[in-house]
Amino acid sequence: MILQIDIVVIQIIVILALSPLLSGIIKKIKAFFQIRKGPSILQPYYDLAKLLRKDSVVSENVSWIFHAAPIISFAAVLTAGLIIPIFISDMPLGFAGDLIAVVYLFALARFFTALASLDAGSSFGGMGGSREMFVASMVEPALMLSIFAIALNVGSTNLGYITQTVSNAGLSSVSPYHLLAFVAMFIIAIAETGRIPIDNPATHLELTMIHEAMILEYSGKQLAIMELGAMMKQLLVYALLANIFFPWGIAQIISTTGIAIALIVFIIKIVIMGTIMAIVETSTAKWRLFRLPDLLSISLMLSFLSLVSFIIVKGG
Amino acid sequence: MEEVIFGSNIMQLLIALILVSTFMILGSTRLYSCVRAFGIQSFLLACVAGVVGFSTGKYDLYIIALLTLLLKAAVIPYIFIYIIREIKVKREIALYVGISPSLITGGILVVISYYLIRSINAITGLSSFALSASMSLVSIGLFVMISRKKAIMQMLGILIMENGLFLGAISLTNGMPLLVEIGVFFDVLIGVLIMGILIFRINKTFETIDTDKLKTLIG
Repeated sequence: MILQIDIVVIQIIVILALSPLLSGIIKKIKAFFQIRKGPSILQPYYDLAKLLRKDSVVSENVSWIFHAAPIISFAAVLTAGLIIPIFISDMPLGFAGDLIAVVYLFALARFFTALASLDAGSSFGGMGGSREMFVASMVEPALMLSIFAIALNVGSTNLGYITQTVSNAGLSSVSPYHLLAFVAMFIIAIAETGRIPIDNPATHLELTMIHEAMILEYSGKQLAIMELGAMMKQLLVYALLANIFFPWGIAQIISTTGIAIALIVFIIKIVIMGTIMAIVETSTAKWRLFRLPDLLSISLMLSFLSLVSFIIVKGG
Repeated sequence: MEEVIFGSNIMQLLIALILVSTFMILGSTRLYSCVRAFGIQSFLLACVAGVVGFSTGKYDLYIIALLTLLLKAAVIPYIFIYIIREIKVKREIALYVGISPSLITGGILVVISYYLIRSINAITGLSSFALSASMSLVSIGLFVMISRKKAIMQMLGILIMENGLFLGAISLTNGMPLLVEIGVFFDVLIGVLIMGILIFRINKTFETIDTDKLKTLIG
């Protein structure tokens, strides 16, 4: 017998355990495409363990925000993780929030990270924070529009309900609006996880960095929490994409075998998403910061087209 | 009969993808990727013709699909690439209207054409999707011609318009008579050849294909 509370605990463990693995797998696949050997897929775990053993060096000019930001960001992302269906569509905490709540929990995490980057007063941090907000200001309308496209199609913004409906509809749920919203959301996912056309996650040395510039002042345990938070966010964004657009295989009722199968299917889906991301990352160059509005307005237009085609087909 | 064809999921999907490929042309800044997007659009159009042919059982539509595939998805893009390579034009397209504004304009044009089509009461239901897509292709093609400076993009714009008309014709009539279609294809091919020669001449005379520069000839 699995109780509701167990599902919440399993979900937290799955999120925490899988997110460094996903980062490692993406790095490995990228290395494969660049004909390098690449670090072991367990490397992110080693890095986190190393950082957790170390003490933090903190500037004496910072306020409480600098200390609070890692915890708040981490907590916000983990809370979002409890609302997003990972292996079961009928979430015990599903009543607590919908897709829009997830968007703004991510926004809360981003807001505090940006605040902390300004707090230390270093010029790199300020640059990173302002760039992050610049990207966020364009991601948000595109994301909201694509969410509305999905919500109109399914009839609800509740994630569990969306997952269940699409899962039950099977292949007949593949419609133009569904597909367009998926592509739009995929571009947003690249922006949200800071992958290559938007931001380069692999570098500390370029003036173009966004996320790395923001967490430049952090070290030791605080850095570990920040890094883990970013990895978790990446896993959750992929989970969101996978379970909104192709949730087939997810458990609908609480049962041990169902959850076991759903977990395996989930890992396969996540690895496929990671592979696609790695291919996109190796085949494109990072875009100039001022060309990013173009990319994100493509996403905006795709979600807009998705809405319009829904209205044309269904509204007649 | 018509309702059944255009209600089918594949048809909707193809038409939506045609719209996406049009937006790819609006959204890219390189000549090659514009030509590639046009090739994809023509390929999808051939698929539409094939699907209509399959569901109506008219075999001459297969010939039309094959001709579209050959001419518009292979030969015409090849001519484009040949021109770009021969006159060694800079591969970035010059714009009057930036990428983001042109994407937004494209979206507005789609909405406008949807409302225009909806005001025609004779057409109901799902085939209006195909017709409004064809209408938006025509208007976006016109917009590409207006907003891009290079003569090649104006050529591409007119071909997008032609694709839109083709989509409209297929969605309204389930395929025109084969003779008419072949005539249209021949016209398009000859048109592209003539425009290509014209672009060569423009390039030879003025050493640029930027139509902005042609204004200085006045007087």
